[in-house]
Amino acid sequence: MAVRIDPEDSETKALHELADFSGRRMLEIGCGDGRLTWRYADRAAQIVAIDPDADDITTAIEDCPAHLRDRIEFRVSRIEDFEPPEELFDLALLSWSL
Amino acid sequence: MVHALEKIHRLIKPAGALIDIHPSTEPPSIEIRLRDRFIAAGWLHETDDGIEYELADQALATVMASDLFALERSGTFGFLLYADTLADLQKYLTEEWKDAYIDDVTLMRAEELMSSIERDREVIVHETIRIARFARK
Repeated sequence: MAVRIDPEDSETKALHELADFSGRRMLEIGCGDGRLTWRYADRAAQIVAIDPDADDITTAIEDCPAHLRDRIEFRVSRIEDFEPPEELFDLALLSWSL
Repeated sequence: MVHALEKIHRLIKPAGALIDIHPSTEPPSIEIRLRDRFIAAGWLHETDDGIEYELADQALATVMASDLFALERSGTFGFLLYADTLADLQKYLTEEWKDAYIDDVTLMRAEELMSSIERDREVIVHETIRIARFARK
């Protein structure tokens, strides 16, 4: 299928203009298949990425680059049901999910 | 939505922040590019007419009024999708953007433009996205 999405990378540029992800502990809500996660994951210290769609989370786990696997935890969950970890987050990202 | 934002507030450190990205309430436009000419064909619609995004804006306004978050910065950016053919676009909508549809008038106009003898052509969907950063209070 010949469809190209945001080849200009406008979303990534806008995201990085708004926040410095370096060393941050992140919570991404509505991560889907990780499309947006990969755009900041290299800089973040730790990421918990949640989405209610189990198929999308499976895709995200399968697509997760090896060097990021120890830093990203993908979970099937809605934010309302999310079991909070002991340590709070520096940044929360609502990725097209509110 | 407000409950979700209240929960997020409890999950962020006191000096932390929330970043929200969601589409604006205006519908995405559909353009046809014929070599270096960009011609408007119409609009892409969503079944709820963007009400979901309006509710998102209202929920953010509510939690700011409740003093849970304060707006630090906001802006918009263009999020573009390019399809080689209308069939490619419609297949994408069917598989990935299930609540979106192209109205008949826009579809006819786009088909007419895409039937041009110009071979360097494509369909462009232009969506305006809102992005904002909120400080946790």
